[in-house]
Amino acid sequence: MKPDVKVKIGELELKNPLMTASGTCGYGDELGTYFDVSMLGAVVSKSLTLKPKIGNEPPRVAEVACGMLNSIGLANIGVSRFIDEKIPRLDELGALVVANIAAKRVEDYVSLAEILAANKSVRGLELNLSCPNVKEGGIEFGTDVKTLSSIVKLVRKVFPRTLIVKLTPNVTRIGDFAKAAETEGADGVTVANTYVGMAIDINSMMPKIHTVTGGLSGPAVKPLTMARVFQVSKSVSIPIVASGGIFTWQDVVEYMIAGAAAVEIGTALFTKPDVPSGLLNGIEAYAAGRKLEKLSDLTGSLRFERDNVPHMDRH
Amino acid sequence: MAGKSFLETAVTVNTRKVAEQTFISTFRSPRISALVEAGQFVMASFPGTIDPLLPRAFSVCDVEDDTLSLLYVAVGRGTRKISELMPGAELILNGPLGNGFPERESGRKIWVAVGGSGAAILPILSRSAKRVGSEVRFFYGARTMSQLVPFKEATNIAHATDDGSAGFHGNVVGLLKQELRRDTPEMLFGCGPTPMLVSMQKEFGTKIPTYLSVETPMACGMGLCQGCPIKKSDSVDYYLACKDGPVFRSTEIEFEVKP
Repeated sequence: MKPDVKVKIGELELKNPLMTASGTCGYGDELGTYFDVSMLGAVVSKSLTLKPKIGNEPPRVAEVACGMLNSIGLANIGVSRFIDEKIPRLDELGALVVANIAAKRVEDYVSLAEILAANKSVRGLELNLSCPNVKEGGIEFGTDVKTLSSIVKLVRKVFPRTLIVKLTPNVTRIGDFAKAAETEGADGVTVANTYVGMAIDINSMMPKIHTVTGGLSGPAVKPLTMARVFQVSKSVSIPIVASGGIFTWQDVVEYMIAGAAAVEIGTALFTKPDVPSGLLNGIEAYAAGRKLEKLSDLTGSLRFERDNVPHMDRH
Repeated sequence: MAGKSFLETAVTVNTRKVAEQTFISTFRSPRISALVEAGQFVMASFPGTIDPLLPRAFSVCDVEDDTLSLLYVAVGRGTRKISELMPGAELILNGPLGNGFPERESGRKIWVAVGGSGAAILPILSRSAKRVGSEVRFFYGARTMSQLVPFKEATNIAHATDDGSAGFHGNVVGLLKQELRRDTPEMLFGCGPTPMLVSMQKEFGTKIPTYLSVETPMACGMGLCQGCPIKKSDSVDYYLACKDGPVFRSTEIEFEVKP
């Protein structure tokens, strides 16, 4: 018997736990060249801003051992063109759309959420809080619990469907941020965005990324994010979307055991854009082999002794 | 606008060393080889490994029957690994990607400057020129003679070497300048290291319709990552090298020269 692989985040039911990670699949439609994107649990858009953004100067990407650094600077066509040009195309492809949004002002998050709430094809919203807050001296929204709380609270008021908060891993206690998102009414949290990283060209003695530091992704970050998924799973009861270095179906299963309800695939798409279809076959076969009725039974099924985890109570 | 692309598991036919650190590898890749045009590229990655992680971009060097070949200078981990693939070994190719060189109609006079691994486009351009009957001359630059790939199929190649060990003593732009005193082409193409392209744009860009194939770090090659911006000449915005290029009219773009 085929196991049930459906996943629920808030009111939103995904046909399986596989989503694309924001910023790694364009607007989703480009992937349609390589596979049927309607097989995905959800397509998460690039981060959308109120106005189009041209993004950072090159170089924007650099390969490192088992990973890559990027600093794209949220280059995107803006929310209006996304709604006018991309949504109809994604509807045509049968994709379930989650819009990811980013802003430099709290009120812009609210405006974006209102605009997207008015479009019924946008089934969910994911908040990217990794931008510098212009009013607070450039501190990232997502690294301050109070700021995160206030944005989630305001967006929650205007966006009635599924709301997911994407957390940055570049904080000391990520569980506190997840808890704040849950308290303010988020339906789920994505764990996690990229890690601040850096690489230098020793010949030119220049950084390999124009902005000097960039976001590290790929298999290099998987164990780091695995630990954060586990920590967050002990802090909240809302669904966790794991994102960090997923390349194989085993990675998906591992994240689910650690506590994830769903996953986002990112960097792997650059090498094999059709990877999600293979992952689905793999996890279905694993669940069938384990005689699981529901794949979601895997979520948080880690066998461990609480006493063995250092500082467990502090998280 | 780029057409249909495929992910194809290509099979290595053979690899030949053709110059110092320079190789041509041929792969059986029926779907991509049937569609690829001069100046388009493929992204190559290794099956079943995450090291190296990202696919590598290569301009397609030539197409014959259901095979395509890639020319590369094996200096990085990726290219060295490709040079070591045994016949029968698999390589994942994504392509054809991007936009190639403009139409080369019958009777048109086209000059093509290439340098380094940019020489990859020479055989495929030569073949298509023969097919449509355009008149193509190649100008091929390298640091020294041992780095020049001997292309037997293509005729009409003038060489330039920095050390004067073969052909014109100097770089390929110097050679072009010399030849332009005698004759002028209808179009000029360039494929090679960025300093060569910058110099071509500066010297010829406003005088002759010039098309340049740009080289830039690239993670996906298909517009997913937006990692390969090329400055537009008439606005603050960027093109993407992978989707809008890699071949651009030289007047459309601005090179950001590092300090």
